[in-house]
Amino acid sequence: MSTLLESTVIESTQPGGTPRGPRRPRGGIRGGESASGWLFTAPTILLLGLFLLVPILMALWVSVSDWSGNGSPFSAGVHFVGAQNFGSVLSGGGLTEENFGISLKNNLWYVILVVPAQTVVALFLAVMVNRQILKGRGFFRTAFYFPSVTSSVAITVLWLFLFSQSGAINNVLSWLGVNGPNWFQEPSGIVQDALAGLGIRQGPSALTGGGFLGVSWWDWIGGPSVAMTALIFMAIFTTSGTFMLLFIAALQNLSGEVQEAAMVDGASGWQRFRFITLPQLRPTLFTVLTLGLIGGWQIFDQIYTGTQGGPAKTTTVPAYLSYTSAFHDQNWGQGAAIGFILFVIIIVFTILQRFALRDRAVSKRRMRLYTIETGGRR
Amino acid sequence: MSVAVKAGSPAELKQVVYKHREKLTRKQLATRSLLYAVLLIIAVIYVYPFLIEIFTSFKTESDATADPIGLIPTTWTTAAYQQLFVNSDFPVWFKNSAIVTVFVTTGRVFFDSLAGYALARIHFRGRGFVFAAVVAVMAVPSVVLLIPKFLVLNTIGLYDSYAGMILPILVDAAGVFIMKGFFESIPASVEEQARIDGAGTFRLFWSVVLPMARPALITIIILSFQGSWNELSQFIISSQSPNLTTLTKGVASLASGQVGSANRYPLKLAAALLMTIPVAAMFFIFQSKILNTSDGAVKE
Amino acid sequence: MQRRNRWLAAGALALTGALALSACGSGFSSSSGSSGGKLTSSKKPLTVLIGSSGPAETKAVTSAVASWSKSSGTGAKVIAANALDQQLAQGFASGKPADVFYLSTGSLAGYAANGSLLAYGSMLPNKSDFYPTLVKSFTYNGKFYCAPKDFSTLQLVINSDLWAKAGLTAADYPTTWAELETVAKKLTTGKVVGLSLNGEYARLGAFMTEAGGNLMNGDSSKATADSAGNVAALTFVKKMLNEGVLKYAKNVGESDGGQALGSGKAAMTIEGNWVQGELSADFPTTKYTVAPLPAGPSGKGTLQFSNCWGIAKDSPNQAAALKLVEQLTTTKDQLGFSKAFGVLPSIQSAAAAWKTQNPSLVPFLDGATYAQGVPTAKGADTVVTDFNSKLETLSTSDPKTILAATQTNLQAILK
Repeated sequence: MSTLLESTVIESTQPGGTPRGPRRPRGGIRGGESASGWLFTAPTILLLGLFLLVPILMALWVSVSDWSGNGSPFSAGVHFVGAQNFGSVLSGGGLTEENFGISLKNNLWYVILVVPAQTVVALFLAVMVNRQILKGRGFFRTAFYFPSVTSSVAITVLWLFLFSQSGAINNVLSWLGVNGPNWFQEPSGIVQDALAGLGIRQGPSALTGGGFLGVSWWDWIGGPSVAMTALIFMAIFTTSGTFMLLFIAALQNLSGEVQEAAMVDGASGWQRFRFITLPQLRPTLFTVLTLGLIGGWQIFDQIYTGTQGGPAKTTTVPAYLSYTSAFHDQNWGQGAAIGFILFVIIIVFTILQRFALRDRAVSKRRMRLYTIETGGRR
Repeated sequence: MSVAVKAGSPAELKQVVYKHREKLTRKQLATRSLLYAVLLIIAVIYVYPFLIEIFTSFKTESDATADPIGLIPTTWTTAAYQQLFVNSDFPVWFKNSAIVTVFVTTGRVFFDSLAGYALARIHFRGRGFVFAAVVAVMAVPSVVLLIPKFLVLNTIGLYDSYAGMILPILVDAAGVFIMKGFFESIPASVEEQARIDGAGTFRLFWSVVLPMARPALITIIILSFQGSWNELSQFIISSQSPNLTTLTKGVASLASGQVGSANRYPLKLAAALLMTIPVAAMFFIFQSKILNTSDGAVKE
Repeated sequence: MQRRNRWLAAGALALTGALALSACGSGFSSSSGSSGGKLTSSKKPLTVLIGSSGPAETKAVTSAVASWSKSSGTGAKVIAANALDQQLAQGFASGKPADVFYLSTGSLAGYAANGSLLAYGSMLPNKSDFYPTLVKSFTYNGKFYCAPKDFSTLQLVINSDLWAKAGLTAADYPTTWAELETVAKKLTTGKVVGLSLNGEYARLGAFMTEAGGNLMNGDSSKATADSAGNVAALTFVKKMLNEGVLKYAKNVGESDGGQALGSGKAAMTIEGNWVQGELSADFPTTKYTVAPLPAGPSGKGTLQFSNCWGIAKDSPNQAAALKLVEQLTTTKDQLGFSKAFGVLPSIQSAAAAWKTQNPSLVPFLDGATYAQGVPTAKGADTVVTDFNSKLETLSTSDPKTILAATQTNLQAILK
């Protein structure tokens, strides 16, 4: 969650802060600048190197070794085993592969559902509380943002209570005549539940027969479990506030003239939003989506605190699996390997983010085009 | 947090809006009422869970299960709090979280701004490289570093110590990035004057530039405070001793519970509530800064 | 922008280079561990890491260790772990493990295999006094590694009031599966379920042993998950689940069977002897009776669980650690622990005294004669976790399929 907040700040700092290009050196060459430059950055370089670069190198070694967690991984009894650990995680055909497949499936559904939902909710809230006519905007912003401040551990504890069998959520559902599930104990997938509601209890053999990473296609499309769904609600609850701030910042930087012009043109509220505001928000939208994607793959605290991967492994995610493989099952090599695979997954999304940010320039130009067009029409 | 840079012409926009307000039709009035209704409902959804948290912590165990949604306890009790403070390590957890947070926040404020200043203002060979490295580091997700960080802490002998808990998060790349951005926005003329007066680089940084960076420093303080107070995974892998357990770790173990223990919701919620108070206080102190409500909220 | 990109690329390149270099270079800077037959000995105080069930257990162990410390003159400190598994793993990896610690049957093989443990079983003066099935559980590769700390068995626990309310008497305690089903039906009402237990191998396994099965054979050298007995057991459980007379504890909103029984949501549960401590702490007013588990098609059966006192190979003071363990497994100390947190003494010579002290719990100790251990092969924990996850959906799935998958997984870890 802190990463999300950090990005808020980066986002809101950038417009005023970052200059376009490298600064032209001023004055002559001053003695000692180089020394003090390195001196000033030394603590940062040292700490980041020691606790980021070196760890990655060590884990890389562990992921290709048979170290089993006793003594130093560099001791003589530890051997190089090549890609064996990666192999058993990705294609072993055993429980290791299946567990990884399950964790990947769980996290994929989590990302697929959380990212669009949190974006839509955040955008909706931002547009609502950004209205000039709205009274009590301060209150609403505080209310919507507050969940983002609290720690994931505290929120998870609260969530376990709210979503317990006889908890607040099921209480509210019972007012509507719905008999709520025992959220955090219910392992059935929601898509499969819905299909069962339609009378389809057994998947077609085409889906149950084949599979990927030890998980049948039928289970891949089974949806997140009810337990995971409760965590999905939690993610939306805790992150929408942060992203709302990003959208508000973007909304406030929008050109008022265009809005004004459209108003004069007699465009309705929805039309103004759909054809003027939304296109201008595209860069922020991209940022939010990508940050959401990256954050979604990093879910760990909630699992560690709340469900420990259960029920029936349906909330196991790669990060948590990596942790338990190493610290519980003594399969350090496999744990490290899962970590690197997750790294690759996240890197792929980071690259997507870079594309998204690159898009910013394009859409700004488009925005300007639009301004000129409307200006012309007026 | 230079969100203060405002959009083109809010005044003009407001004028337009006000013009519209004069001729409010009935339809518009209905729309507006609907808007408030919707927002209020959402606000209740966002706020009510925290109210439940507060009030349930004063309930008895059976009351909490019997009436999970009502606020007022049938019998008020502080049993949960007594249990936390007298019969658990909660005070130790709190102390550890406080220690870590103070060190991390102080460290980040100092080191982030130092590095940020160097990257923004000092011309030295390799500056571009250092900056690229900092940016690259931001891309490394913290959860994949769980095992690696443990291995390193272990190897260099910092495992299970305050140093091992604090040092790995003492500097953050994002903070450096923020500070660099801020220092670049300060006019160079300020430093030129001090330079002419013969100030050294560190003095220039410490007594001329840094005091100007208050807004950015506050940002770093907020982020570091929240980040380190709410951090969990780093503490899981850096310590095992009960004397070094932080709030996040302690409350997480409380939540996952031991086999055969009752639900103990009031106790858990009380713990969750207490650990939220410091960050909540931080949030309310710097609220206007975080939410950037300076334009609307204050006037209302 | 262009320039920054170039630097980023350069940074990435340098990073890759550095990765490659150090991966080659750092591999084998070896530090050889100490080995040899003699026990280490030093003046260093001992650390005892326990996975405590609660304040009562922590207090009892702390005072027992303190009294040993006083008489022996060796310092010793008890630490109650937040997460025992994780703390053990981190301790072994850091080379500074606790000297003495709780070790579960499931973790033994992993730590024995990677050389973290001292195999001291044969050095114990009272080694023949331990129950043989327990010794088997803590034997790996033919070596008796560590002294069983205590043990527990599963039996049938009955809520006395609900039992009487249904018009049942002591004569109705079920002795067969059919009788169990009948009384469960009688006890099931709108708010109460007849039988509730944790939906996991550690409870349902009792049915498997009663039908002559279990996941693995006695010394965990062979997978027996797909045996006909196991299929019969799970089929019976599934039938009860679908009849609504058996519900998993979490499906009645409780964390385990003891809680379900104590809160009155279930009339019967299958739990271990720890249930007495749990019930007296959380539900002091609930009255309950312990009856022997009903016999299955193959007669009596139950599961037994145990922890041992592990001693670390890296401990600088193994000699003192061994002395401490000897003290902690004496009749006197074990009866003390039993009184404090309801465990069964692991030595046979303490049985008689225990039975006179705990007349109402006798069925648990009687179970020792026919109880079977849980799988101890390396990696069995993971397979059992997977098996448990499948048992959660037992009511809608095929027992044969579940057991076949588990059989495959167990065979895989034996390779």
